[in-house]
Amino acid sequence: MTIIYRLGTPLLAAGCLIMLARILSGGGVTDLLLESPSLQSFKILFISIILEAFPFILLGVLVSALLQVFVSDALIARLTPRNPIAGVLFGSLLGVLLPLCECGMIPVVRRLIRKGMPPYIGIVFIFAGPILNPVVFTSTYTAFRTQPSMAYSRMGLAFAVCVVLGLLLYKYMKKSPLREEKQAHMHVHNHDHPHSDKHHHAHNHRHDHEHHDHNHAHGHEHGHSHGSHNGSAVRRSWSGRLGSTLAHASDEFFDIGKYLILGAFITAFIQTILDRSMLTALSDQPGMENLFMMAFAFAVSLCSTSDAFVATSFNGIFGSGALLAFLVFGPMVDLKSTLMLLATFRTKVVLTIIAFIFAAVFIGSIIIQQFIMA
Amino acid sequence: MTATDRSRIIHHLIRAAILTGFAMYIVYLVRSDSLTLYIAPRMVIYVKISAIGLYATAIYQLYAALQAWAGRKTAACECNHEPSSSITKNTLIYGMFILPLALGFILPDASLGSSAAAKKGVNFAGAELLATGPKPAAAPSAVDEGKQEAAPSPGGPKTEAELDAMFPSDEYTESHAKYGKQLYKQDIISVPEKQFIETLTTLDLFRQNYIGKTVEISGFVHRQEGMGKDQFAISRFAMNCCSADALPYGLMVSYPRAAAYNNDAWLKIRGELTEDMFDGNRIIVLKAKQLQAIEAPESPYVYPDYDFGL
Repeated sequence: MTIIYRLGTPLLAAGCLIMLARILSGGGVTDLLLESPSLQSFKILFISIILEAFPFILLGVLVSALLQVFVSDALIARLTPRNPIAGVLFGSLLGVLLPLCECGMIPVVRRLIRKGMPPYIGIVFIFAGPILNPVVFTSTYTAFRTQPSMAYSRMGLAFAVCVVLGLLLYKYMKKSPLREEKQAHMHVHNHDHPHSDKHHHAHNHRHDHEHHDHNHAHGHEHGHSHGSHNGSAVRRSWSGRLGSTLAHASDEFFDIGKYLILGAFITAFIQTILDRSMLTALSDQPGMENLFMMAFAFAVSLCSTSDAFVATSFNGIFGSGALLAFLVFGPMVDLKSTLMLLATFRTKVVLTIIAFIFAAVFIGSIIIQQFIMA
Repeated sequence: MTATDRSRIIHHLIRAAILTGFAMYIVYLVRSDSLTLYIAPRMVIYVKISAIGLYATAIYQLYAALQAWAGRKTAACECNHEPSSSITKNTLIYGMFILPLALGFILPDASLGSSAAAKKGVNFAGAELLATGPKPAAAPSAVDEGKQEAAPSPGGPKTEAELDAMFPSDEYTESHAKYGKQLYKQDIISVPEKQFIETLTTLDLFRQNYIGKTVEISGFVHRQEGMGKDQFAISRFAMNCCSADALPYGLMVSYPRAAAYNNDAWLKIRGELTEDMFDGNRIIVLKAKQLQAIEAPESPYVYPDYDFGL
């Protein structure tokens, strides 16, 4: 949360100042500013990133809300593999079935973890889903027509990184990676159903939600509420479920949306001022170009289905190892998704995972360049 | 009514307003035909659907506000996103949602132009991506062959076999070679809007066959560092998904009075295809013969033709 406040305030202030200046000057002075091509580019990029992400976010929050309201914790527990290796493979390859963009992924995974899916599987899915899926493979293959090894290397390296990440998380991550929710809960209890407060405190978070939904949707059914916290949502009426689904979806939309907008803002800003020729000037040092393309991928936060086409535009300027690093690192970690991850997971967990992926992709791309693509 | 209830109602109302605002903005973009300035046509349907989703959620928020007003609790989701009670924080968060809306409604719609093109760096050689990198060994020598074979009978009609020799291909460039043969038979090769990128790529890939041919292209003028006074680029932005991934594709134009044409001017140029060095690369250059100012087209972008070669 602190990131939002630290970055959001100055950004918002700048935005407001522009608006205010426009109002005060009646458009005269600021027309210059507003018609400046950079501001135009900025606006186009900013809005296009948000518009493009909307369908995915809405789909994500909808799936997440449906999971919350209709799928019991017991079912999730039954469906997830117990064996860690099977679990990691499951998480890595789930994207083949559910090709979601990372914007849509985070709310779904957060819900799955809350509902009892082992966090290591959920986290692997977050990082694997946006890249290990048929849509991305096809677009990479199309973009690199003459270099099919790029599409295979991209999938292969991503898969290897995800599997190792999953196994490491399984071994070393013992605490819940989700952010503490104490504050939110205290807040809730301040004004909700005093009669059931103690009851809630005694239970796990995820049972709380079920319980609350139930209560709220049907004020007249209080008698049943105590029986509903086993995660069984069977006895609810359809209108109540619809209400809960929409309530979850809209809350989650605002929850994730602010990070999306902040990410889109920074991304659009970087894209507006970044001159590509500056990048190419730095491409001479060996190894540097891989780092550079990864940093570039992080900053521009492209959607994984179209970044291959952008990568091809760097062909000839950067080596194929650097392009591979761009293609693997970008969908897994970028500015927009990092902000959204930080909203959901503990900062330490997010930073550790990102550091690992960074190192793994860097080393992996160099190895593949040396031994496979050369 | 308690203070908490009142704050709940306000939250629901603000949220309803923001959600409606986004839905209205999408509708506004659709109505004014400017949605495709931001996203590619294949994404349009999803964005339209999301407008419906936003509306539905907005209506739910209104309903929730009414419920709260009537003193009844609605199915709020208490999982970690109960609105904060601090007014500053709330202003900030809702302000972040209002900012893109304000920018969207207040600033006039426009498309990416020469300043963005200069930043992104134009992709002169559409085929650079095909011609470089570890590629099947057959291709470079095959291109040379094509050159030699083409030499004996310049200009004359070619047999199929001769054409095949001129457009050698492997499995990855097969569709370009096939398209290249069609282009070769035309007196004036006009770069169409539908296969803009594919045509440029083909011209570049089999450039030996096209040097000296007449090519016609439309696009906007822009310049980048390193260009001489008699040079500019004529390009279109190619979009895959949304304008964040748009890249300029185009041809370098050489024309003695090039300086007379301003950046962002839309031109239709007919000229002779030649080759020249730029920035250390050998690129194809259009030596302009006829320049004609044109209206900016309805859609400033071009898109990859997904049916190409199928």
